[in-house]
Amino acid sequence: MAKRRIAYYLMTIPALFLFFAFHTFPALQGIFYSFTNWDGFSDGYSFVGLKNFINVFKDENVYNAYFFTFKYAIAATILINVISLLIALGLNAKIKAKNFFRSVYFLPNVLGVLIVGYIFNYLFSNAFTIWGAKLGSDFLSQNILGNPDWAWVGIVIVGVWQGIAYNTILYLAGLQTIPADLYEASSLDGASKWREFWSITFPMLASFFTINMVLAMKGGLMIFDQIVALTGGGPGRSTQSIAHLIYTGGFTGGEFAYQSANAVIYFIVIVAISLFQIKVLQRREMDL
Amino acid sequence: MKKGITTVLAGMLAMSLLGACGNSSSDNSANGGSSSGKVKIEFFQNKAEAKTSFDKLVAKFNEANPNIVVTQVNPPDAETVLKTRAAKKNIPDVVGIGATDTFKSLATGGLFEDLSSDPVVKNIQPAYADMLKNYTANNQLNGVPFAANANGVIYNKAMFAEVGAEVPKTWDEFIAVAEKFKAAGKNAFYITLKDSWTTLPAFNALSSSIVGIDFYGQRQAGSAKFAGTINEVAQKQLQLTEYAQKDIFGKTYNDGNVAFAKGEAAMYLQGVWAIPEIQKANPSIDLGVFVLPATNDPSKNKLVTGVDTLLAVSKTSKHPAEAKKFIEFMLQPESVTQYITEQKAFPTITGVTQDDKAVEGLKEAFTQGNLVDFSDHYIPAAMKIDTLLQEFLQKKDVDAFTSKLDTEWDKVANRK
Repeated sequence: MAKRRIAYYLMTIPALFLFFAFHTFPALQGIFYSFTNWDGFSDGYSFVGLKNFINVFKDENVYNAYFFTFKYAIAATILINVISLLIALGLNAKIKAKNFFRSVYFLPNVLGVLIVGYIFNYLFSNAFTIWGAKLGSDFLSQNILGNPDWAWVGIVIVGVWQGIAYNTILYLAGLQTIPADLYEASSLDGASKWREFWSITFPMLASFFTINMVLAMKGGLMIFDQIVALTGGGPGRSTQSIAHLIYTGGFTGGEFAYQSANAVIYFIVIVAISLFQIKVLQRREMDL
Repeated sequence: MKKGITTVLAGMLAMSLLGACGNSSSDNSANGGSSSGKVKIEFFQNKAEAKTSFDKLVAKFNEANPNIVVTQVNPPDAETVLKTRAAKKNIPDVVGIGATDTFKSLATGGLFEDLSSDPVVKNIQPAYADMLKNYTANNQLNGVPFAANANGVIYNKAMFAEVGAEVPKTWDEFIAVAEKFKAAGKNAFYITLKDSWTTLPAFNALSSSIVGIDFYGQRQAGSAKFAGTINEVAQKQLQLTEYAQKDIFGKTYNDGNVAFAKGEAAMYLQGVWAIPEIQKANPSIDLGVFVLPATNDPSKNKLVTGVDTLLAVSKTSKHPAEAKKFIEFMLQPESVTQYITEQKAFPTITGVTQDDKAVEGLKEAFTQGNLVDFSDHYIPAAMKIDTLLQEFLQKKDVDAFTSKLDTEWDKVANRK
């Protein structure tokens, strides 16, 4: 018994150490600095109490970043889940070259976000505009990323294009867990395909749906790389996400402590949202 | 979920660890180096355009100094990298950056050595040394000016000849020239506002001549406001966009260099640093530069020039003597001449002149000393003036923009 316990400790302690060193410690450091006025490089700093937190609530740019981030996260979560569920259903059906299509749809997940971002950036400014001009549309002949009202849509397109790959895999795995005899029974009862989806497939996928919703939402709220590659937060601040604001304000702007306070608040917000999401979605699972 | 927001923080820690590794490895090599007699100096600089020029100079120095090995580091987004490294007190031995707000805050933070009494500064033109001294309140010289830039209007001489336009001396003439191109169905300007920083050359030229640099000191002291003062600047910058190509918000700086080189517009509101890039895209282009005539009084239209690259020595450098030796080499007339010829930059030392035909239009301003510093260097980086300008040029509301500048300035000041 004791020997077995040692084996467990040997496995947990390095992980615990790494988790603490790379995760918990920096987080604690960030919380510490959020109560100071450190600019990130000077020798000295002093404690300013809750001043940074109060200033965060007074900062229009922070509200703007929250608004954009949630708008993006909600749109991306819905689109990613709908599209990836459709693709998964298609890929799970008896079609030719199934494995080929599966690898094609998974490809975006393998490519780096920044690379994808820079490729799309080029397409948006130099390829799509030419197609748009050929269609004779004034709107489509302009770079969507340069338009403050529509740039976020461009980012959603790229985010969704890349995000569906991973969620499709999860849905595919989920579809495989559904016992075939359920479908046999339903076909004996003469159920339509539509009825089959709503009464068997979708309920049986409930736990996968939960995890996919949470993952997609988390990914959306964390959006950073796409912003860097596509718009840099612009035009103006119209596509600045919270993570991007924290990064640019903290490092480029030299407001390290202030943005640490912003990060602490954001941390609390994300934890709250995730707990809420899991609670609501899991209750739905149990109702079945 | 925690992972989400702490990514930034975790990244910082990772960076600090990497930084620490970098530190120890350079220590090791330096210690190991003492046996082989070589000292390693890291030269960090922020100009991607100048990488090859610096490579040549570094190679020359290394050859002449067998005991010292200088390596150039030129990462993308260099200013941010430098700040993150500064946060962990891992500053490169020699830093080459522009005289921007980043330099200002790092120098004020006491990270660079005071070089004001160092013999390397004896040939520096006093105007540029004073510019750097003005950034820090303690009257120290925390960096040696190495090259200066200038920001005006780059123009296509062939296109000017085609419509019979002359180089304008006043704002009205400037607009008349732009109208001429518009009437001929051509783009007077190529504007590239997908990159927010490209709003700055025009803003600096207008603001530094119309409002002046002293205004920013007054704003800091609280005796002046943007609202009412800077409206003319905003109005004029907005007016210029009327003569530009379509989709000005969809094009980037790189797009602009290529498009201007191909003759898609007659004028380009950029600094001389863009010239090498334009010539790369079209080596046969015949271009010139003139001072942006911000007002109708030619004597008021000053050339915006600043320290494009300064060389600073880190206080934490283990080899300050060798670092200074490198700077001394860089400031020799021969090195400076090579650099400014390749980069179309301007010298900051006495006895060297920039004689390139492309930039001779600016010579008069230099000889008469009709010069002024970049306005944006006096605006706190956290305000993101480039982003504010980008937003303004889309919303086109002058009053909202000027009052927003005031609220943003106060907000940033209150957070200190």
